[in-house]
Amino acid sequence: MGNIRVGRAQAKPDTPAHVSGMHQGNHGRYKDQKGHHEDGTADARRSTGIHWKRHDVLAETMPNIPPG
Amino acid sequence: MTTTEARPTERKPPQLVDMSWDPITRIIGNLGIYTKIDFANREVVECHSTSSLFRGYSVFMKGKDPRDAGFITSRICGICGDNHTTCSDYAQQMAYGVKPPPLAEHIVNLGEAAEYMFDHTIFQDNLVFVDFCEAMVKATNPGVLARAERTESPRGEIHGYRTIADIMRAFNPFEGEVYKEALKVSRVTREMFCLMEGRHVHPSTLYPGGVGTMPQPTAFTDYLARLMRVIDFVKKAVAMNDDVFDFFYEALPGYEEVGRRRVLLGCWGAFQNPQTVDYRYENMNSWGKDMYVTPGIIVDGELVTNNLVDINLGLRIMLGSSYYEDWVNESPFVTHDPLGNPVDMRHPWNQTTVPVPQKRDFDDKYSWVMSPRWYDKRTDSHLALDTGGGPLARLWSTALSGIVDTPYVKSTGHSVRISLPKGETLPETTLEWRIPQWSNTIERDRARPYFVAYAAAMALQFLEEAMGMVRAGETKVFENYEVPDEAIGCGFHEAVRGVLSHHLVIKDKKIANYHPYPPTPWNASPRDMYGTPGPYEDAVQGQPIFEENGPDDFKGVDIMRTVRSFDPCLPCGVHMYVGKGKTLTTLHSPTYGANHG
Repeated sequence: MGNIRVGRAQAKPDTPAHVSGMHQGNHGRYKDQKGHHEDGTADARRSTGIHWKRHDVLAETMPNIPPG
Repeated sequence: MTTTEARPTERKPPQLVDMSWDPITRIIGNLGIYTKIDFANREVVECHSTSSLFRGYSVFMKGKDPRDAGFITSRICGICGDNHTTCSDYAQQMAYGVKPPPLAEHIVNLGEAAEYMFDHTIFQDNLVFVDFCEAMVKATNPGVLARAERTESPRGEIHGYRTIADIMRAFNPFEGEVYKEALKVSRVTREMFCLMEGRHVHPSTLYPGGVGTMPQPTAFTDYLARLMRVIDFVKKAVAMNDDVFDFFYEALPGYEEVGRRRVLLGCWGAFQNPQTVDYRYENMNSWGKDMYVTPGIIVDGELVTNNLVDINLGLRIMLGSSYYEDWVNESPFVTHDPLGNPVDMRHPWNQTTVPVPQKRDFDDKYSWVMSPRWYDKRTDSHLALDTGGGPLARLWSTALSGIVDTPYVKSTGHSVRISLPKGETLPETTLEWRIPQWSNTIERDRARPYFVAYAAAMALQFLEEAMGMVRAGETKVFENYEVPDEAIGCGFHEAVRGVLSHHLVIKDKKIANYHPYPPTPWNASPRDMYGTPGPYEDAVQGQPIFEENGPDDFKGVDIMRTVRSFDPCLPCGVHMYVGKGKTLTTLHSPTYGANHG
């Protein structure tokens, strides 16, 4: 900080924000987040837990859009 | 010299009066304009723009986790924070080598389009028009108001106001119709923003590598429904602005000289093209040109370059009148860019901020704002570029490049054509913004509603493409990445009021250097080491005064119109100020893990 007179530092030097054991967010947690597929697509389980199988597509060729 | 040449006039003996406006408020008041006005010749002789605020983002960003940068830099501003998050994410994506999925780019673009619409509307209709409203014109130019009462408005069938004075009455703060309507529109556009970016103005769903917005069909249809509600307001706003500004040229001959400056405009581009952008520095020229607002530097009406690499390498941060110590003797962070081009010591990648607080002295140092300049190789000069308040430079650069060709927006080389669909009351409309003759106060203000239309038109295209992807089941919005040990990155974006760049250097997975350069340091910069004044100073200096009041009840409306036409916003202009050094609270992040202190 140049020649500015500053007081005794009260805050500890900053450390990386990540605390080990906490989920980082960089890797998908597909086990815990139901309905999300590894290829980035999703099915009806993503948005609801009620009768979700009935909200999925009828045929494999159709895109699966979860209800909003 | 990059300054505007003085206008030749027949001179009377000068009658100099010192006039100053400090603070000029917009969010927080720390911009001051100090002028010497010659009332005998009715012009401003000298102008200094100063800021009394130091913030130190580039100082306290050092040593932090780079992934936090988007969330921290968002707090630079309380109105365009999302522009900082977006720009920071662009810089980080370059550093991490990650390209977000196309749908994520669409969501960011849609959020940013809503931000442009919101911010320009609230600034133009609720702040700029206070200077052009009936009450203000009555107090400063009663003759002009009398003429406005008699002048029919040429586009009355669109906006519904019969005379120019009727429009001016609708601009009156707190009671005028346009003022009140604009407040509602700014609420609706903010809702649109929140659908895409989670929270206004500090987004909660933007991350490097993608977004956290759930791409469900309703997010896009809710956005579309709101957009269609405001689309007629946009058409009316353009018509009203054209009527009022044309009237000012007509009623006050010579008004084009107010705030006129040599055409020195910079635009860093906005709205990434999801198909082509890969965030690799090596390809920056090509994906930069594919942006839906083309980047560019315009000097005297000519396009100098629209290559982002050239724009990046030409950036120079100068001192001269700012309260900082020079850093040229420090060791550089980046000597060459990824293409092997040398990087100057005055480039933001190499900058070190060392504040030296001192007394304000207009003959020496007088501002906390530094002087960003762009080095022009052709003429070996450091250009004091301005942003024209944002829209002027964006439209000008897009028009001159002639690259943008989309279903709703088309650049013709000399103009930008914007098509808006049918709304609740008004039919399908094509608006055309033509490159103006001058870069002055009126043209900066006029470009703003046109850019609201531009953002609305682009949003329609992004919506159609995004909904197409959702219907096809392509709902991926995030890409994984690893933070490298060492990397550099730069992000180029357009904040609402103009150019925005973030320069990032990572060492040991931490930020070694981080420099955001938002628009206001460019516009409000003081005189640099070569004595070149900043854009506010240059635009105000030498401008004629049209106000009818004398020195005793002088309001300075012409000067204020000029300064406000740049959309001044200083929280971003300078990089902690708590009264007399009182410590409010001591905090340390992260909040998790007590052993971290």
